[in-house]
Amino acid sequence: MRVNPNSMPDLLTALSATQQQQDTELLQLSTGRRVNQPSDDPAAEAQLIENNADSAQVDSFQQSLSSINGQFQTADSTLSSIETQMQRAITLGTQAANQGTLSDSDRLAIANELQGIQNQLVSLANTSYQGVFLFSGTVQTQPFVVDASVPSGVRYAGNTGVNKVTVGAGYQIQVNQPGSQLFSASGSDIFQSMTDLIQSIQTNSNIGNSVAEVNKAFTYLSTQRVFFGNAMNQVTSQQNFLSSETVELSTQENTIAGADISVVASNLVQTENAQQAALQAIGRMPVTSLFDFLQE
Amino acid sequence: MGSLNTSLAIAVGALTADQGALNATANNVANASTPGYSRQVPVFAENTPLVVGSLTFGNGVSLQQLQSIRDPILQIRIAQETQDQGQLGSFVSSMQQVQVLFNNTSGSDIGSQLSNFFGSLNQLSADPTDLSLRQGVLTAAGNVANSFNNTANNLAQQRSNLDLDVTQDVRQVNTLTGQIAQLNGQISNLQNIGADASVFVDQRDQLIGQLSSLIDVSQIQSDNGGLTLTTSNGAALVAGEQSFTLTTQPDASGLQHIFAQGKDITSTITSGQIAGVLQVRDQKIPAVLSSLDTLASGLSTALNTANEAGFDLNGNAGTALFSAPPASGTGAASSMSVVLTDPSLVAASSDGSAGSNGNLATLSAVNDQPIVSGQTPTQFYSNIVFSVGSDVANGTANQNASQLVLQQLQDQRGSISGVSLDEEASHLILYQQAYDAAAHVVTAINQMMEEAVNLGSD
Repeated sequence: MRVNPNSMPDLLTALSATQQQQDTELLQLSTGRRVNQPSDDPAAEAQLIENNADSAQVDSFQQSLSSINGQFQTADSTLSSIETQMQRAITLGTQAANQGTLSDSDRLAIANELQGIQNQLVSLANTSYQGVFLFSGTVQTQPFVVDASVPSGVRYAGNTGVNKVTVGAGYQIQVNQPGSQLFSASGSDIFQSMTDLIQSIQTNSNIGNSVAEVNKAFTYLSTQRVFFGNAMNQVTSQQNFLSSETVELSTQENTIAGADISVVASNLVQTENAQQAALQAIGRMPVTSLFDFLQE
Repeated sequence: MGSLNTSLAIAVGALTADQGALNATANNVANASTPGYSRQVPVFAENTPLVVGSLTFGNGVSLQQLQSIRDPILQIRIAQETQDQGQLGSFVSSMQQVQVLFNNTSGSDIGSQLSNFFGSLNQLSADPTDLSLRQGVLTAAGNVANSFNNTANNLAQQRSNLDLDVTQDVRQVNTLTGQIAQLNGQISNLQNIGADASVFVDQRDQLIGQLSSLIDVSQIQSDNGGLTLTTSNGAALVAGEQSFTLTTQPDASGLQHIFAQGKDITSTITSGQIAGVLQVRDQKIPAVLSSLDTLASGLSTALNTANEAGFDLNGNAGTALFSAPPASGTGAASSMSVVLTDPSLVAASSDGSAGSNGNLATLSAVNDQPIVSGQTPTQFYSNIVFSVGSDVANGTANQNASQLVLQQLQDQRGSISGVSLDEEASHLILYQQAYDAAAHVVTAINQMMEEAVNLGSD
């Protein structure tokens, strides 16, 4: 059978195929990815896009969590300070109630100290975090204003709005408690109770009842503080969950698009061998023909 | 009756025939590397014998013709495969340029920008009054709009480049059909006088090969070596010595359409480079553009509605974030832009209070809602990328397969028509020896004649 006398095109095709293969494998080795453009594996690329979107979302959840965690910590330590102040107020009130022999000036001194505590409570209730009032609801005005025209002497200028921040797919954490709920809840208003106590001591009447009122407000506030403790626990556990999800997503990404480096590397060696073989074949193409043997 | 003169004539005839055969060998060797050359073999035939009484004398040899060895059917198969190859080649290279726009490793693609935008909303929700975070949302929205603009504009640019390709390819088709018609004339002239036209046939096969890589060609051979070429849909390209030029005219949208004798044949061209270009220009890019428009329009509308549902930092009702997409949706991607410039106008608040972030959840929710053809924006976008990637991947696979087929056909053609130097060397030996032998015969007859002339003298 007659064969094609010109085998050069076949050899060149083989050579260019191995070169292309080598380029692909080198790219895979240098990027560590099997999918470097959509046509490498269209289905994997589509999965990859969703995976990337998920990763970006998890990153933004993590950022939100660390940002609101600072807010929670400030709020919690503020409430802790308020509790300390109120405990001092209760101690002072109890002293005033039990020692019927106190002089007027002693009681006045206690009342003055209590007034100082009241001022500090107002100031603490107006705490802000990074320029944002923590207990104003969702308005950006100073939430507690000293105002003699209201019975408690302190007026709430915030609102009852609460913010929620999304920190997971379909998972939202409430990030604030309005000051009206924490400090001036009906029947457990810390400012009202303090004002009542100061007045009782000043007039030396019903001090015991007023101390009980402050105590009630204190207990109420302690139960409210649990919210922030819980929230910080939620933040921590969600941070842990998201970290594992980040690992999970990058594992998935690697499964979808990652190159098996050891396989690629050994393939590359094979490809290089094939290329050497193709080059040698071309080099060994017969340069002689029957013509060379025709003698004069 | 045999005579010395007859023998001499036979020997001289053999010398001439062998010279002619050597000529073919020389020509084959000379054209061993000429693309499209078909080797020639000399066809020897015995001359009509001389019958004298009961004796039949052989009357020598003559060189009847130098026959070009070619397989016309194989040639047609090669032309067909070349058409497929041309179509796949231009299709794949055009789609590869489209694919670049959707490569997510750049980080500037639509998918990455969408993730960034929704991420910026999440960040703002943790501190909704922060102006720099609000600016971050507007910037990210601007990047989303830009990525849509860039992708759509690039696609439009690629489309007009392909349009230029169409015009240039058509011009090349016209040049080739003109040359083929001319060769047709030369071939039939030669064949009419019984001469060998194989040189021109080889050239014509080469040109048909080039034409096939551009456009789909059907061949009809006529008896006198003439050839009629049409597109597979029947539009005449060449009929004998006449060629028919294709023309291009822009349609209403400015895209070039191809006309054959006044008839628009654009949509009927099914293979060759032009078909691949047209497929991307008229089907693939418009489909991708239209998907992008759907996505841009769905996103703009949903995000505008979400922003309008809330209140800005000043307590005013929110307004549209993006420019309103065109009612038809067409051009939504290229015209997408952010209309808010003041970061305080991002409607984060759900109740009008400045510190509320309630409406950001509404804005973020757009990311997870089936707002575009029943899919979330990310799903819809990843489907666009999937379809572009599949087009390139399938096109490349077909191209490789077609390349193998073509290679095999070329091999087959080479095994029939290619010049083998070994073979030519063996022919050379053969004809040289034959020539040598015939020359010896002439010498012998010469001696014999001399003897005959000198017969009787001393």
